[in-house]
Amino acid sequence: MKSEEDLSRVMEAYADMVRRICFLHLKNKYDTEDVFQNVYLKYLLYDKPFESREHEKAWFARVAINACTDHLRYAARRKWVPLDMIEEEREVLDDMSSEVLEAVLSLPEKYRNVIYLHYYEDYPAVEIARILGKKENTVYSWLSRARELLRERLGGEWV
Amino acid sequence: MNVIRDSMKEIRASEELKQNTMEYLRVQKRRARLKRIRWYAFAAACICLLLTGGGYTVYIRPVSYISIDVNPSVELGINRFGRVVEADAYNQDGRDILDRVPLKNVPYLKAIGRLLGDENDSGYLTEDSRVFITIISDRWETMLEEIRGDEMSEKYGAQTYTSDLASREEAHQYEMSFGKYRACQELSQFDESVTMEECHEMSMGEIEDKIETCKGHGHEESDGSYEDFENGGSDENYEDSGNDEHNNDNGGNESHGGHHDHRH
Repeated sequence: MKSEEDLSRVMEAYADMVRRICFLHLKNKYDTEDVFQNVYLKYLLYDKPFESREHEKAWFARVAINACTDHLRYAARRKWVPLDMIEEEREVLDDMSSEVLEAVLSLPEKYRNVIYLHYYEDYPAVEIARILGKKENTVYSWLSRARELLRERLGGEWV
Repeated sequence: MNVIRDSMKEIRASEELKQNTMEYLRVQKRRARLKRIRWYAFAAACICLLLTGGGYTVYIRPVSYISIDVNPSVELGINRFGRVVEADAYNQDGRDILDRVPLKNVPYLKAIGRLLGDENDSGYLTEDSRVFITIISDRWETMLEEIRGDEMSEKYGAQTYTSDLASREEAHQYEMSFGKYRACQELSQFDESVTMEECHEMSMGEIEDKIETCKGHGHEESDGSYEDFENGGSDENYEDSGNDEHNNDNGGNESHGGHHDHRH
């Protein structure tokens, strides 16, 4: 069982990343809180050692993405429709950011993941492939397809 | 410019979210600890149950048998801890004794002592009667030594033998104790005309007398001698009937010594 200090450390280190992954997939803060807590609970119960901090971070990214996917699968069976996340976040975002994020959120789920991991977390394709459990070539083609879609929506000079 | 990075900069985990999650994790930790404690308690309870159940099974299972034949024929089942867990009589005299003498859970030497003491008091043990103690056990050497060293067995000049589980089963088919059955087998070595049924009706004293008589032929000089008998026939007899030769050597000689003491 993990210590309080260790939990605080991983909370500081990965909370923003987990939160952003949730943001890319989930529609409201209640779902976000559920998934966010679930990710950390998984860490609490995970008793294998990590080889390095990088390994630990990749583990958090993968678990967060999977938790979101699972949650969406569960949410798809729900009757009520959740609030739009972007509405809740709008107050902290400027127009430019909102526009970009809206474009990102309009991408299919798999593209959202590669875009985030590549452009925000700076993971190379080979790492992304490992985190998502996909082939490196798949990641490359998703990345280039996602870029294309974003270019269509945001114009040429988005990156 | 990385617009994606810039656009997401402001998306952060709020302090509230972090604090809520830390609190949630604390609760989960306590719950997991409680669960673990409950699991340990449950496991401990299971182990206790198994131990008491298993211990009881071990306790009530006989691992050795002692047949005590004077005239009353009694078989005792002895558990791993050397205590009597079964007592069966193979004739009316034996049944009478078992009704009178409590033997359950008593250490086997004490049980033999009680049986012999009672038989002495109730007149079964006379000058002419003989005590035969026959053992089936993996640790027969120790048991024989203990029995021979026992005050009561010595006092009544008990003769000790060993047998085996197969003979015990055969004996029970004839409704005899395995101690008596062993004596009958010995007799049949000398006198083939004697059937088990006839033997069944004889007392242990009669069987031994007959063996002695048979042995006595050509040994008039001897005193119906057990030693002669021992050297002449019994060993072979024992070997034939699948019993332990070495054991018989030990058991026979000393016990017969005891027997002589008793008679003379």
